[in-house]
Amino acid sequence: MSSTFFTASPHWRWLIVAYFFFGGLAAGSYFLATLLDLFGKDRRLVRLGYLVAFPVVCLCGLLLTADLGRPLRFWHMLVQSETFRPMLKTYSPMSSGAWALLGFGGCAFLSFVAVLVESGWFDWPALRRLSAPSPVGRVVTVIGTFLALYVAGYTGVLLAVSNRPIWADTTLLGVTFLISAVSTSAALLILLGGWGGVTGDSIHALERFDRAVLVLELLVIGALIVSLGRVAMVWLNGWGVLLVAMVLGGIAFPLVIGARPSVRGSLAPVLVLAGGLVLRAVIIFSSDGLR
Amino acid sequence: MYPRSMADSDCIVIQGSNMAECHPVAFRWPMQAKLKGAKLIHVDPRFTRTSAMADIHAPIRPGSDVAFLGGLIHYVLASERWNTDPFFKEFVVHYTNAATIVGQDFKGTEDLDGVFSGLMQYTPSIKEWPLDGFVGQYDVKSWQYATSPPARPSAPPPAGPPFDPLVRSLLTPPPRRDESLQDSHSVFQIVKRHFSRYTPEMVERVTGCPRETFIQVAETILANSGRERTTSFAYAVAWTQHTNGPQMIGCCALLQLLLGNIGRPGAGVMALRGHASIQGSTDVPTLYHSIHGYMNHPSALKGHESLRDWLHAETTARGYWANTPKFMVSYLKSMYGAAATKDNDFGYDWHPKIIGDHSHLPMFVAMNEGRVKGMLCVGQNPATSLNASVERKGLARLQWLVVKDNWLTETATFWKNSPEVTSGQLRREDIQTEVFFFPSAQVAEYEGSFTNTQRMLQWHYKAADPPGDCRTDLWLTHQLARRLQAMYADSTLSRDRGFKSLTWDFDADDPRERERGEPDALKILKEINGYATDAPGRHLAGFGDLKDDGSTTCASWIYCGVFPAPDRNLAARKQPDPPNTPGAQLDWGWAWPANRRILYNRASADVRGKPWSERKKWVWWDGARWTGYDVPDFAPTKAPSSKATPGAIGLDALSGSDPFIMKPDGVGWLYVPSGLADGPLPVHYEPAESPVVNPLYRQQSSPVLKHWTLAGNQLAPVGDARFPYIITTYRLTEHYLSGAMSRWNPWLTELQPEPFLEISPELAAEKGIANTGWATISTPRGRVRAKALVTRRLRPFTIDGRTVHQVGLPFHWGYQGLITGDAANELTALVADPNVSIHEGKAFVCNVEKA
Amino acid sequence: MAEPMGFFTDTTVCIGCKACEVACKEWNQLPAANGGVRTLSGDSYDNTRQLDGIHWRHVKFIEQFSADRRQGRWLMMSDVCKHCVHAGCLEVCPTGAIVRTEFDTVDIQSDACNGCRDCIGACPFGVIDINPVSGTAQKCTLCYDRLKGGLEPACAKACPTQSINFGTIVDLKKLAQARLGTLQRAGETRASLYGADEHMLGGLNSFYLLVDRPEVYGLPTDPKIPSRNLKPSAIWSVFGSVALTLMAMVSFRNRGTRDV
Ligand SMILES: Nc1nc2c(c(=O)[nH]1)N[C@H]1C(S)=C(S)[C@@H](COP(=O)(O)OP(=O)(O)OC[C@H]3O[C@@H](n4cnc5c(=O)[nH]c(N)nc54)[C@H](O)[C@@H]3O)O[C@H]1N2
Ligand SMILES: Nc1nc2c(c(=O)[nH]1)N[C@H]1C(S)=C(S)[C@@H](COP(=O)(O)OP(=O)(O)OC[C@H]3O[C@@H](n4cnc5c(=O)[nH]c(N)nc54)[C@H](O)[C@@H]3O)O[C@H]1N2
Ligand code: SF4
Ligand code: SF4
Ligand code: SF4
Ligand code: SF4
Ligand code: SF4
Ligand SMILES: [Mo]
Repeated sequence: MSSTFFTASPHWRWLIVAYFFFGGLAAGSYFLATLLDLFGKDRRLVRLGYLVAFPVVCLCGLLLTADLGRPLRFWHMLVQSETFRPMLKTYSPMSSGAWALLGFGGCAFLSFVAVLVESGWFDWPALRRLSAPSPVGRVVTVIGTFLALYVAGYTGVLLAVSNRPIWADTTLLGVTFLISAVSTSAALLILLGGWGGVTGDSIHALERFDRAVLVLELLVIGALIVSLGRVAMVWLNGWGVLLVAMVLGGIAFPLVIGARPSVRGSLAPVLVLAGGLVLRAVIIFSSDGLR
Repeated sequence: MYPRSMADSDCIVIQGSNMAECHPVAFRWPMQAKLKGAKLIHVDPRFTRTSAMADIHAPIRPGSDVAFLGGLIHYVLASERWNTDPFFKEFVVHYTNAATIVGQDFKGTEDLDGVFSGLMQYTPSIKEWPLDGFVGQYDVKSWQYATSPPARPSAPPPAGPPFDPLVRSLLTPPPRRDESLQDSHSVFQIVKRHFSRYTPEMVERVTGCPRETFIQVAETILANSGRERTTSFAYAVAWTQHTNGPQMIGCCALLQLLLGNIGRPGAGVMALRGHASIQGSTDVPTLYHSIHGYMNHPSALKGHESLRDWLHAETTARGYWANTPKFMVSYLKSMYGAAATKDNDFGYDWHPKIIGDHSHLPMFVAMNEGRVKGMLCVGQNPATSLNASVERKGLARLQWLVVKDNWLTETATFWKNSPEVTSGQLRREDIQTEVFFFPSAQVAEYEGSFTNTQRMLQWHYKAADPPGDCRTDLWLTHQLARRLQAMYADSTLSRDRGFKSLTWDFDADDPRERERGEPDALKILKEINGYATDAPGRHLAGFGDLKDDGSTTCASWIYCGVFPAPDRNLAARKQPDPPNTPGAQLDWGWAWPANRRILYNRASADVRGKPWSERKKWVWWDGARWTGYDVPDFAPTKAPSSKATPGAIGLDALSGSDPFIMKPDGVGWLYVPSGLADGPLPVHYEPAESPVVNPLYRQQSSPVLKHWTLAGNQLAPVGDARFPYIITTYRLTEHYLSGAMSRWNPWLTELQPEPFLEISPELAAEKGIANTGWATISTPRGRVRAKALVTRRLRPFTIDGRTVHQVGLPFHWGYQGLITGDAANELTALVADPNVSIHEGKAFVCNVEKA
Repeated sequence: MAEPMGFFTDTTVCIGCKACEVACKEWNQLPAANGGVRTLSGDSYDNTRQLDGIHWRHVKFIEQFSADRRQGRWLMMSDVCKHCVHAGCLEVCPTGAIVRTEFDTVDIQSDACNGCRDCIGACPFGVIDINPVSGTAQKCTLCYDRLKGGLEPACAKACPTQSINFGTIVDLKKLAQARLGTLQRAGETRASLYGADEHMLGGLNSFYLLVDRPEVYGLPTDPKIPSRNLKPSAIWSVFGSVALTLMAMVSFRNRGTRDV
């Protein structure tokens, strides 16, 4: 028997599922925005990505704080409560993740402001330098993107750096969450872009990209199940059914309908988004009940 | 013996107790022995936490202990080892009454198919109250020893004090002996014949214990008895709570005497007492039938008319009890002080006399009959004990009830939420009992002494004031005594003379305690210890100082010496022996008698006074005096070779090799000619209720047991098909007795939160009962609900070729507390053994159904 | 640092009295679950079931009986935090609330903990949980406060049979070896020490003598440190990042021009 079966659950429930989901969206959106900015031509999607990232990352902070046993001590993650010296353990994903989230939140804020300025919501000349392609803006978005990737992936690593069944029995959760973060974010941008009237080539590019990512995600989930070995038996229950449903409904089906231009619409991205949420819920809850 | 001595045992048999669960702290000593290589044996119907620690668990059907022990006796007597090792012969011939010849009139159970000679119908005397409950009675005349010339007709008792002539007048000719043990009327031959039926096959048939297991137990005990090794037994209430409980204990003592396992380190029969100071409460007695120090209570039924009559009836001329007049007179002096004089028999006439069995069960029967007006219930919770429904109905017929307790117990609230009231059987407004609740102080809130299971007094100090109105139990007694004295002060009735003369000078000197009305515990200890009557500042140093002329005052002779000087309270000593030295920790507390730890320890040396072996030395003769690790239980300078003085009384009547100095013949009794109501030898009887027909004799159960016939106390007939299963009740480590002290404590309640029935998977399957599913358990007296705990720790027995199921029910629940549940005692009956009136809570019959 | 201290728990002499469980609660003033009002678990005599934020000691009961009762054992074991030399809980704690003390024990400083619960899943033995009263993660402190005052831990003090032995790790290991030898000589071939050497998480400062496989006692045979997964997880994630970036570059390269 895997030694992980002798451990206790940290009772990470919906708040954490939501954080993992929204954290992925914030990070993925930022990542996509930057890459679209660097390599694409359509600034509407770029702006959309940055506009989404910051509020969502704020939501993440709130979710995380609300989940703490002692919410008012949220700052203990960053500062030692006795000495007031910085608190960072690089080998603890939660510790480094907290810093990454802080850093990412900062970048997302700056990029958010830059978009506001760019869009003319308000104008403060000094802030114009934040917008790409100004060098400051570039630096911010590039750093922010690295942090975004960190934020998108560390949550899975965090689960892996434990002793819980499923979580600690594979080393692929980080990359799975990372890929899922990007696939769901792409879906989100497609959806929001569609509602915002963005059409044509850039959306198509995003859709094609998303399909590619979904294929990758499928592969990674397959690899994940294989890597779990006997522990995967834990999924011989409702959670496993949900996982299959997620794979079929949140990946395979969107892939199929997305490949046919005739049925393009909101359905595929909505399913992808739902799939991303379900994936996290399955991963977290299917382990939660075991002791 | 005492628990610490168990660490010196080479084999420990725990039978009749679940020691690990009920005496976990004392159980450290068996565990230490085990770590040193001793064998642990647990004989118990269930596999318990004690069994888990044992090398051998021997399962036996509840109530079949005499069959098992009798089997051991048979096995030992037939064994090669016992018959070839000279140690056993020497011990048995010299230290027991094996060689004594019993009178020709005696007939045993072999002759009379399960009863002894002398069995009669029970005939209550006119003076007796009618609630004694006996179903039969023995005339013990035919059980007596044979004496050479016929016993002298007793002359009228001479006057005294001093009472020596009176004692001398009680001398009877010494019994005849045959040291070859061949005489067919010798105790040894009688014992051998008596147990001849108890073969291993019979043991298996009666007890259900597999033969191999029984033989393994027997061999282990044999291998661990002798010069070099000792075996001890420990029991508690799984031996007492039977209609033949004292016989089980006696049977064990018989076996241990045969094996030379008495009076030696790591040997003996360990009686594990229940409550913290239950030993103390029988020493300074709350027992109805004895006064301090195990002297019989003056009784209207026993020819106790005058002091001289009492002494005549209660004193034995030979052995230490020859000093009884000194104990009694000093006791009376303690009761009545200056008013007690030679001329008025030291106030003996003022002393109350008993008129029958006034123990717990008959008192509640009397309540049910409306014979009792009021009850002071101090530290007891009868509303859930022993046929609880009958007991509560008794409470409901009282005019007043005082409950003094730390908690609002079931007894205190019976009028409000007992099952009779909630079911509508009794209406609140019909219960006339006026209930007074006195909140009680806890032990850490006052000072005093505990007497633990090794007869050791240990002083405890006050750590905090009791909260609010809480008062000690001493306070209640003290205040009652003072107020009653004031009430009787002007009485001219002769029956009130005793109360008027009572000495009662226990007011606290400490002004704060005095203001609270609390007495001074040290003053009480002094009264118990005793002092010179005319110089109260001079405490007595030991019971050797007691006089029968009124010059000494002592409430309890056995405690004399605990407080030998005003500044020396020996109970307060806390000086352990240095580590790894053999010893008896004599500077820790004080154990009665005379700070002795192992009783009859003269037996730890051979006839010549030499230790039986280096490994097992304890007390020995050094050429001039007795010495050793313990206080010798012998006249300190009486040489082993000294002979008994013919015609002498007291210890002079015993020889230097008679270790059992409390016995008139100085030896341990295999055969008990007097003192027991149910026979001189133990017999296997079935419990009052049993699904099994006694496989050994025609006599089914004890012919002299007690059963009170009143509504709600019916017994199921033998083999009643409506109640096919054996049920036994017991404790869990996690709870305490009626639960009053544990079911209010969340740390304990979470450990065992709900009442449960332990049941084997076999019976559970038969009855369709699932683990943690509810079950209903019923007896002719009542029914309870409990959750099933299905476990292989319980097993069905094969008795006489037939499967007999047993179930087990812990009895800690009731209707008060954080967690509540049905009390097991809704099921039990008021039946008891004839000697000490202890109920049979360990073996009765029931039915079990899925609820 | 003072000498490393810890426990050697000899399960073969545990009588399951739970005195340790209660003594711990009393000393540390831990509440009972649901105010003490619970339901019967049906799992032998174990009704508290687990170590958690309000049960820092827990006594396990394992019934092993053959159907004919010829073979029968009732194993009992008092479980507690292992005070691992390589402690998973300590490793992951993001606030630094979990520290190694001068006695080489692992302690959670409740006033620093913010209740993130990362440590709970990190412990290979399921020792930690939240204490609902404090809202923080709690577990056995090895009675740090008592050790500071020169007292032995409350549980060890209460244990009537010396099942819980407290002392320096050096002494305890000697004691454990001796006891193991005695048992093995007496024919108890299944006896073994659990966590008494460095192979297990660098050594458990609270180690055990068992007479069956660890799983039987609810202990992992091969407990691991959580950070074993850190590097591989991180590498996979980096691969993923690179892959996603490349895919995005390819997908987005000069896209969207037509609509601008
Ligand atoms: N934790 C705890 N400790 C206690 C108490 C408590 O309530 N809780 N009560 C205290 C008191 S007052 C007392 S008197 C003692 C009692 O101490 P014990 O006598 O040791 O306790 P019990 O649990 O009543 O019974 C012991 C065992 O007797 C077995 N048994 C039942 N019938 C028979 C039989 O016929 N023969 C044999 N050989 N065994 C049988 C039962 O299976 C049970 O395991 O415990 C004291 N200690
Ligand atoms: N079926 C069945 N019935 C049994 C037994 C059995 O084995 N089976 N065992 C029997 C035995 S051995 C016993 S000893 C009895 C016990 O039966 P009880 O003595 O009736 O039960 P306890 O719960 O011990 O009651 C003691 C009361 O004293 C209170 N108390 C504690 N300390 C103090 C104090 O300092 N002062 C005062 N005033 N009160 C205090 C407690 O709160 C509690 O209410 O039960 C007997 N009943
Ligand atoms: S409760 Fe008291 S008497 Fe009973 S085992 Fe514990 S310490 Fe001994
Ligand atoms: S046992 Fe668990 S809680 Fe204890 S030190 Fe080890 S990892 Fe931490
Ligand atoms: S719950 Fe407390 S102790 Fe545990 S990891 Fe979080 S901050 Fe550290
Ligand atoms: S060492 Fe202290 S905190 Fe730890 S289990 Fe024992 S009593 Fe509880
Ligand atoms: S106190 Fe000792 S014997 Fe009792 S359960 Fe705990 S470890 Fe076992
Ligand atoms: Mo008792």
